[in-house]
Amino acid sequence: MAEVADLVRMSRIGKRYGGVQACREVDFTLGAGEVHALLGENGAGKSTLMKILSGDVTEYDGQIEINGRNVSFAGPTDAQAAGIAMIHQELDLVPGLSVADNIFLGRELRTRWKTVDRRRMEREARTLLERSGVDLDPRRPVGELRVGEQQLVTIAKAISLDARVLIMDEPTSALTTSEVERLFVVIRELRRGGVGIVYISHRMEEIAQVADRATVLRNGQFVTSFDPRRLSTTEVVEAMVGRPVQTMFTTPDAAAGDELLRVDNLVLKPRRPRPGRRDPDGISLTVRSGEIVGLAGLLGAGRTELLETLYGVAPGGSRSGRIVLQGKEIQPRSPRHALSQGIGFVPEDRRTSGLVLFHSILANTVVSSLPSYGRLGVIARRMERAASVRMADRLRLKFGRLQDDVGTLSGGNQQKVVFGRMLLTEPRLLLLDEPTRGVDIGAKSEIYRLLGELAGQGIGVLLASSELPELVGVCDRVVVLRDGRDVASFSTADSSEGDLLAAAMGDRAEFEGRAVFEEVGGPQ
Amino acid sequence: MTNAQDKSATAPADADRQAEAVPPTAAGTTTAVSAAKAPTAVAESSGGVVATLFRFQSVFGLLAVFIAAIIFSPRRDGEILFLSADNLANVVRAVSEIGIIAVGMTFVILIGGIDLSVGAVLGLAAVGSAVLMVENDWGFLPSIVVVLAIGLVFGALQGMATAMIGIQSFIVTLAGLQIARGLARIWSDGQGVAIAYGNGPNEAPDSFAILGERTFGGLVPIPVLIFAVVAIAAIVFLRVSAFSRHLYAVGGNEKAARLSGVPVIRVKIAVFAICGLLASLAGIVHAVQLNQGSPNDGIGYELDAIAAVVIGGTSLAGGRGSVAGTVAGALLLGVLNNILALNNIDSNIQLLIKGLVIVAAAALQRLRPAS
Ligand SMILES: Nc1ncnc2c1ncn2[C@@H]1O[C@H](COP(=O)(O)OP(=O)(O)OP(=O)(O)O)[C@@H](O)[C@H]1O
Ligand SMILES: [Mg+2]
Repeated sequence: MAEVADLVRMSRIGKRYGGVQACREVDFTLGAGEVHALLGENGAGKSTLMKILSGDVTEYDGQIEINGRNVSFAGPTDAQAAGIAMIHQELDLVPGLSVADNIFLGRELRTRWKTVDRRRMEREARTLLERSGVDLDPRRPVGELRVGEQQLVTIAKAISLDARVLIMDEPTSALTTSEVERLFVVIRELRRGGVGIVYISHRMEEIAQVADRATVLRNGQFVTSFDPRRLSTTEVVEAMVGRPVQTMFTTPDAAAGDELLRVDNLVLKPRRPRPGRRDPDGISLTVRSGEIVGLAGLLGAGRTELLETLYGVAPGGSRSGRIVLQGKEIQPRSPRHALSQGIGFVPEDRRTSGLVLFHSILANTVVSSLPSYGRLGVIARRMERAASVRMADRLRLKFGRLQDDVGTLSGGNQQKVVFGRMLLTEPRLLLLDEPTRGVDIGAKSEIYRLLGELAGQGIGVLLASSELPELVGVCDRVVVLRDGRDVASFSTADSSEGDLLAAAMGDRAEFEGRAVFEEVGGPQ
Repeated sequence: MTNAQDKSATAPADADRQAEAVPPTAAGTTTAVSAAKAPTAVAESSGGVVATLFRFQSVFGLLAVFIAAIIFSPRRDGEILFLSADNLANVVRAVSEIGIIAVGMTFVILIGGIDLSVGAVLGLAAVGSAVLMVENDWGFLPSIVVVLAIGLVFGALQGMATAMIGIQSFIVTLAGLQIARGLARIWSDGQGVAIAYGNGPNEAPDSFAILGERTFGGLVPIPVLIFAVVAIAAIVFLRVSAFSRHLYAVGGNEKAARLSGVPVIRVKIAVFAICGLLASLAGIVHAVQLNQGSPNDGIGYELDAIAAVVIGGTSLAGGRGSVAGTVAGALLLGVLNNILALNNIDSNIQLLIKGLVIVAAAALQRLRPAS
């Protein structure tokens, strides 16, 4: 892999945002047919560096060469013309348009009469989606897709650009193991075709599987480059963080207490059908206080829908079964109602469901707990500021000033703000939907530590995650959902990721599991 | 050069974080907060100046128009007519009605809505005041309370229609405009109702006239005083209340607000109710200034109010803006009207110039530094 001609050569790249130096004199190269992983903590400057390459950021210091020629892009279109495509960390699809329209946005296929050729676009979209391993109707509006599916659509879109350089900024953060495996098959195909791929991810186990080379950034600066197959995760993490890191998972040792939440045969039949959603269709489970219960399942197993129902945001319709919180049956009507019962929820998609991006970090942090900072509806600014500072400190938030827009934070730090907001409401039961999506490994351990701490205080946690290592590492028990039902429950003390995966796939396990295994087949 | 800049600019961030590492004991928190503030000031002295300028750009727009008004003002015996006390009082008096409405409109636009019914509600309130006091011989207080209540309820109903049924506020209030106008016509038999003062039948109580004629401290007309009180109350309210945080959140990202436990429906209804209330208050001020209530009062006022809000820097997309900006926007329009009138500019040309100024002011808004 050593002597590939450089497809991309970025030298001494610098970029600052106000008081933050996002990149400082970074050198970065990418060869044809190379998968180059870019690693670093939240806010290390990975996305910024790649946005410079993809023409999203046009003011920067330093130089970019493509195939040995100096380039300077005026915008993303320019970069695309030069063969550079980027899958953005934050999904950038148009919610009102269909999957096919999104994939071909700006380069719609035409008929002989110059009208848009819907039929051909849908057909090609379907082929593309199949190639990336999704079974999705290209006519569905993107707005109603779940986050993971949207991620797959952006991947399909990027692939369809036939780029020579493909930048993937956390493409898998909402995907489950089997979808990730499919993606890797596609990546290997592209690599064989000579495409250079930049791969950004916070999931360490993926790096060794897919990357030929890895570069670590820290505080906007280049730290090291290495062959990911030769270094252990611990060494990599140390390079990222700049100091030795303790074990990532802290197993909560608190003995589980009384039953906090009991769900009995929960079934939801929405008045209007929701295509593509998987409403609870007979789910039973319990969470005891001080217990962290995981929710596993494939994309579309109904994890998000279950959490939403418990939080009172499910659509109107008929609901049967019982939701019992501390011995009292409740009917969650609205988030406000759920919060008043002591139920907190961290949604999956922080940008559309979590944050007001152009409001301050402060305002976003305290919005759920406002009544507690003052009296008679008047806010005591000192108190709310203190609360916000306390939470930022507890979560080790990386930020400039509290009054900066939350949208200027790096992805992982935005996630921490949504998380912190819920903690400030002092919930008894926390519902978490992919709470570590896009969060770096250091911050992940922070969140795990925090979860352990919360459990120690008797809070119950219901944690939906698509990362099996996370579920096995953090939870006391994992409930597996499939097609809107609970199909298995494991104590993590005596089960493996494989057990979970098998249960999540069910009938499909035998067939697909082998297919995945063969395709992946270990690093070539 | 880069190096020196680096230091000064990264320092605040570091200092902030260090400061915040102080344990959150009562005393510790105070130090953390004050320590965190100090570097902020440092940061603002460099890049912050521009940002601060932009925050107050509607005030600068107002200042620019004000200076232009002085320059282009006709003079008599060397005296600048525009600056005469009488004229300035006229300017603010003329602004007060639109200004009061625009404050309510700011609230609505902040949550990402629009209220087209305010002009019609103003007309309904003007008619209501006149009819109740003159034809029904009601006293001052009951009339006013009922008229204000009508505006409040009218707004609240529109709020419910948009918040609970989910109809776009544009359509709801467009319908509300027709309904309020129709009600005003029915109530007044389609005629303007003149207001005469006195104690006899078919005369309004003198206390009502005070609202229009008297000045406060011999200088400030009462309508202006009302506008000032409304504006200041709104500014303070938006700064300190928990409700205002909810309001901005709803406008910024409604879905996120709902998931954060913000009572979105309640916020929306309250905001439309406030807007209706202020529109009816403006209607009372209108009736007392013209000594009559006519069902055709306030036609087109909604557009002036929206213009004032937008010139004042509030985003039509919601979640961003301020009442202070709106006040500046309303004054800007008022000064502009005044100077055009003082110069006896042809009314058609006036329209033209006003249109251009609105576009220019809106263009200024787009120049804000990228965030
Ligand atoms: N538009 C912006 N305005 C101001 N600051 C920004 C902006 N974009 C990024 N930054 C800052 O630049 C730094 C680098 O951000 P970047 O998004 O590149 O990090 P990252 O490595 O991609 O992190 P993550 O893993 O969380 O996605 C951060 O401190 C961030 O706050
Ligand atoms: Mg990033």
